[in-house]
Amino acid sequence: MVVPPQTVDGGKATVHLREDGLLHLQWLPGSSIEVQDARAAMATVNDVCQGSQRPMLVDMAAVASVSREARSIWSIPCSASRIALLGRSPVDRVLANFFLGVHIPPCPTRFFTSRSEAMDWLNAGQ
Amino acid sequence: MTSDHGTDDARLQQLVDGIVRLAAGELSARIEPSAQRDAIDAVITGVNLLAEELGHIYADLEERVAARTAMLKRTQVELEKLVKTDALTGLANRTLLSERIHEATDAGAPGGHVPAVLILDLDSFKAINDTLGHSAGDAVLVEVARRLCTIVRATDTVARLGGDEFAVLVTGASVEEVLLIAHRAWECLQESMDIGTETVWTTASIGICLRNGSSTAEELVRDADIAMYQAKAQGRNKVQLFHPDMLDAVQERSRVTAELRSAAADGQLTLLYQPVVALASGRVTGVEALVRWHHPVHGTIMPDNFIGIAEETGLILELGRWVLHEGVAQLQRWKETAPDLTDFRLHLNLSAAELLRSDLVDDVRETLAENGAEAGRLVLEITESVLMSRETGEEQVLEKLRAMGIGLQIDDFGTGYSSISYLRSLPADTVKVDHTLIDNLETDPQQRKFVSAILQLISAAELEAIVEGIETAGQAAQLLEMGCLYGQGYFFGRPVPAEEILDLVRRQDQPR
Repeated sequence: MVVPPQTVDGGKATVHLREDGLLHLQWLPGSSIEVQDARAAMATVNDVCQGSQRPMLVDMAAVASVSREARSIWSIPCSASRIALLGRSPVDRVLANFFLGVHIPPCPTRFFTSRSEAMDWLNAGQ
Repeated sequence: MTSDHGTDDARLQQLVDGIVRLAAGELSARIEPSAQRDAIDAVITGVNLLAEELGHIYADLEERVAARTAMLKRTQVELEKLVKTDALTGLANRTLLSERIHEATDAGAPGGHVPAVLILDLDSFKAINDTLGHSAGDAVLVEVARRLCTIVRATDTVARLGGDEFAVLVTGASVEEVLLIAHRAWECLQESMDIGTETVWTTASIGICLRNGSSTAEELVRDADIAMYQAKAQGRNKVQLFHPDMLDAVQERSRVTAELRSAAADGQLTLLYQPVVALASGRVTGVEALVRWHHPVHGTIMPDNFIGIAEETGLILELGRWVLHEGVAQLQRWKETAPDLTDFRLHLNLSAAELLRSDLVDDVRETLAENGAEAGRLVLEITESVLMSRETGEEQVLEKLRAMGIGLQIDDFGTGYSSISYLRSLPADTVKVDHTLIDNLETDPQQRKFVSAILQLISAAELEAIVEGIETAGQAAQLLEMGCLYGQGYFFGRPVPAEEILDLVRRQDQPR
């Protein structure tokens, strides 16, 4: 089942279920992610997956900030079976690791700076 | 670091400034990262995130501290309530009552109405506990508490002071209203109460004290208490308003108690001896020892004025010990001076409390032995009521005394409420008939018949009778005619010092 990219309420991200069964959550560069944005993104992910569990690539490169409450939303189990956080800069790494360090993710979650490594890790889990 | 990231980078100064603000406690301070998103921005972002976490931890901590503090305050309020509440009845306890009385006395007399304290002590509550058990007693206390709460105003405080003692603080009420509340308290306890399957009555003796201008909270309670005891003394189930004279009487008793404590050691106590005479021959067969207190200020005090206090305070034990030692020692002195008085007997009065003195039997035995006196020369006089209500402990003491050969005599016969049939089983040898029974002996034929019947009754019980209070030859003659063997009274001799007794004995031995 292929679902075309859907814009998350608030307009700060899109969710796309690819043909290969991978979910792709793309945060727009420069976004400041608040709790309502995280909640909307999770709702969209769940909506797109229709109850099935799927690996998810979260493209968070160039996100400006993630609030504490927004990070806590991703502690709630959702349709993602694995999450690869993809960033580029040292700032992305710090943001990602604060999420990983302070909150306990409900599924295996790792940070990558290489898209291919991220994809390999996601596929390895399928 | 490269030159771009060198120490001259302005962001580093911003970072230092930001950390200084955070260190100063300004946890809301944030450092703006640049669009470069390089390592310096990563450090800036990390510091911002750490500051956010720290702020959150602080806020969480403050919230917890606030919640704990509120909980502690609630617990403290509950504890204070518990500390000031009587657990059984839920009424105020002595602590809370005392606080309320202090508040009331501090407030003065608003509207001219002084605070008043009522002390209520249940009558015969011990009997309920003893016969129905303590849980029934507790149920009675709870019911009394409930009833008292129904007769006071919302502004009054009902308290349980402990045991079967309650108190009511009445504020802002006129004297008439206070008396009315006291009367209602009295009235509400007149009705019976159902405790389980039993129906019980428990009335109260109530003392009231209205504060006068200068009395303190403590004095208010003390004086209400004194009035309550006055109500008890008047026959219980009464309401008594405090009067300053009552305090004087209490203080007088307190003074007497303190002085009596040292009276024997100070040589202020003496024994006088009143002869006991065989009516047929007029011969003195013995003497009754009677204690006198020669007070250095108040002169000679008769036993009626201090024996009661001695019994209440327990001093009667020391007093009894002194009388025993002194009396038996005197008996021996007489024996040495007049060895021919072989059957001369010493009568000593024994109080109810003394019968329970653990060393009484040993003390009597040793005192007799030390003085070389025979047990048969000693007669212990015990009141009728003590003999009637004796329990196992007293019974055993009496048996031991009798086994030693000591005579036991029922004192004041006719003043108690003896069951006639019981007369035969009393552990006594002689019965002293109270003087009130012979008051009209010479003028009232009916009284004569009555006394005659009593003497026959005593004889039928195989006891010997002594009649006390004989004041005339006519009384003595009539009693002799009725079969009475012994007599005592002013006709034969008033109580006199020991040194006069032998002369009296010699004189009485002369034919009349």
